[in-house]
Amino acid sequence: MSAVTEQSSQLKIQVKDLHKSFGSNNVLKGIDLDIREGEVVCVIGPSGSGKSTLLRCLNKLEDITSGQVIVDGFDVTDPKVDINEVRRHVGMVFQHFNLFPHMTVAENIMLAPVELKKMDKAQARTRALELLERVGLKDKANARPASLSGGQKQRVAIARALAMAPGIMLFDEATSALDPEMVGEVLQVIKELADSGMTLVLVTHEMGFAREVGDRVIFMADGVVCEQGEPEQLFGNPQQERTRDFLSKVL
Amino acid sequence: MKNKQRVARHGRLSRWVAAAAIGLMALVIGAPSAMAQGNEKVDGQTYVIGTDTTFAPFEFRQNGELTGIDMDILQKIADDQGFKVEVRSLGFNAALAALSSNQVDGVIAGMSITDERKEIYDFSEPYFESGVQMAVAKNNDDIKAYEDLNGKTVVAKTGSEGETYAKSIAKKYGFTVKSLDQSATMYESVKAGSAVAVFDDYPVLAYGIAQGNGLKTVTDKVPGGSYGFAVNKGKNTALLAAFNDGLAEMKANGEYQEILDKYLSDPSASTPGNFFDLAAKSFPALMTGLWHTLLVTAISFAIAMVLGLVFGFMKLSGNIVLRGIATTFVNIFRGTPLLLWAFMFYFGLPQLTGWEISVWTAGVLTLSLNAGAYVAEIVRGGIQSVDPGQLEASRSLGLGYGKSMQKVVVPQAFKMMTPSLINQLIISLKDSSLLLAIGFGELLYQGQQIYAANFRVTETLIIVGVIYFIAIMALTKLANYADRRFNK
Ligand SMILES: Nc1ncnc2c1ncn2[C@@H]1O[C@H](COP(=O)(O)OP(=O)(O)OP(=O)(O)O)[C@@H](O)[C@H]1O
Ligand SMILES: [Mg+2]
Repeated sequence: MSAVTEQSSQLKIQVKDLHKSFGSNNVLKGIDLDIREGEVVCVIGPSGSGKSTLLRCLNKLEDITSGQVIVDGFDVTDPKVDINEVRRHVGMVFQHFNLFPHMTVAENIMLAPVELKKMDKAQARTRALELLERVGLKDKANARPASLSGGQKQRVAIARALAMAPGIMLFDEATSALDPEMVGEVLQVIKELADSGMTLVLVTHEMGFAREVGDRVIFMADGVVCEQGEPEQLFGNPQQERTRDFLSKVL
Repeated sequence: MKNKQRVARHGRLSRWVAAAAIGLMALVIGAPSAMAQGNEKVDGQTYVIGTDTTFAPFEFRQNGELTGIDMDILQKIADDQGFKVEVRSLGFNAALAALSSNQVDGVIAGMSITDERKEIYDFSEPYFESGVQMAVAKNNDDIKAYEDLNGKTVVAKTGSEGETYAKSIAKKYGFTVKSLDQSATMYESVKAGSAVAVFDDYPVLAYGIAQGNGLKTVTDKVPGGSYGFAVNKGKNTALLAAFNDGLAEMKANGEYQEILDKYLSDPSASTPGNFFDLAAKSFPALMTGLWHTLLVTAISFAIAMVLGLVFGFMKLSGNIVLRGIATTFVNIFRGTPLLLWAFMFYFGLPQLTGWEISVWTAGVLTLSLNAGAYVAEIVRGGIQSVDPGQLEASRSLGLGYGKSMQKVVVPQAFKMMTPSLINQLIISLKDSSLLLAIGFGELLYQGQQIYAANFRVTETLIIVGVIYFIAIMALTKLANYADRRFNK
């Protein structure tokens, strides 16, 4: 769609001097970020630092105030870009699942492929069952979301986000709304995605998980990337005062 | 409507009104009737006679058949003189217009013989002497004469001889006159005690008492106009002569008095039927009314749903112009009374535009625009009540705004809107009764027509109320069933 240079072709996401404000509230104050194909990036930071906002700018759920965001070769900031096309390449998983309560589990997953005419109903159903099998919920295909536990709901939400076979997945605190005993089953699914080589951006409060699966950890504070690096380095030997301060509170 | 006819009856129908109406009636009535011109013999002839729709006890419908003093007298004379009649129930003014244009051969409609009318029509001998009489509640023994009215309130019908007479003596006897529109409501207010007495046309009053309206007359009648049978000036002289001959004969042999007694006799002579007879008799007309009520509600609500969806979405739009239009629409129709719009569409719009607007069109416009404004608010509220995360989740999958609304947001909003929509449907059904003010033949209107003829206001209203109640209960059950069925 938009021009992509040679050397950036292995970059799945490029963010250049991204600013985002809500009215007079400047939430993102110039973010620069490159994410390679297959990279697993964890975003951590205090509440209100702009982690969710950054994530939501990547698939334009928020209007971008200034700067450039290129995702999977599409310039998201170009007004002529077909944003629906871009979003088919980027799956998103929300803290509160946001499953469609008036549909069955299978129908939740089939919605996008069928409505976007990628598959007919039968194919979409086969695909939905495969995805459910992958998250360990094949037997729940005909259940309503309301009858599932939190962990099950989030696993269905992940399956739904995978339905259009996106190259990138965004997770915004996917385990924060879960009871502790259900966190593990969801992290397990995410870990399998990471292992499969998919590009992942995870906003998370699970420091142990970030350390285990992250290729890179980004610490955000006050709308800027304060510090970033490999998990061992960032958690083991943080350079910035603010990072140390934050980690001392959460670890 | 009824009142207009009554005023015209006692007042004068000026010539130019009649002349103007001729053209109109020619359209309404259609093909001219068979005329018996200047024939000296009426034997074997068929005459077309125009009459009013309802003017009890002279002409009114009982079990769908036109009956009354006029009808009985006319039929007796026709039998006696050997001619046949074909009666057309046109309404008072329309019947006169039809007579002027020779669409009918004669008119019998409880019509006073006046000098103005005598210039355009030839009248028979008077067949009825009318007059004004005073009546009080049956159990009231305090009021026996005008002298007892000092400091009290009486009722009379707007524009009637009774009103003129009551006002002429009000000062002398020290009472107040309150004017009402319908005989039936006047009688009710006397029974309820908000007025002590009623001044009304003697035959109408006598008929009401005979029907068991709970009143009794306490004064002699004050002589008023005489009623006559009319033919067009210079036409149908044989018919007029035959009418006069027949009338004289009836009066001589007592058949005339028999007919008057039949309609105006003392209530002790004829006991009114019980509640269930009344219910059974009024059932067909009330079912027609119910059908019209349901139909106008259904059509209007279907249109209101479309309007409500369009304006509800417009209210949520980011476009300030669309939002402004929708807000204006909602505010106008929520901020003004329904009845005002019924009058506006039925009386105002035809004058402003020159379009002919039927009572159905006006009724549907009124109800659908009013309900549409409320549905728009229900739709807006319903959509706003859906978690914004639902739209975000759908958009993040790559579905467009329209598809996301259609597949994800609206189905959930609709589920939340259903109870409010059912509520609005029921309100619209009840509101449809207001359309009686423009003469729409819905359920309450039919009830009014019934008690205008039999004066049993309370009982008729109870029957109408029960029908509304059952209809609304059934509708609620049906709607809730559909809700459970489709909104699992
Ligand atoms: N739709 C919005 N309108 C106005 N302000 C917003 C909106 N969304 C976020 N903000 C503001 O932007 C700032 C950053 O919010 P954001 O949700 O990105 O933080 P976060 O880092 O994800 O925090 P948390 O850890 O609590 O989720 C906050 O001050 C918030 O109030
Ligand atoms: Mg957040």
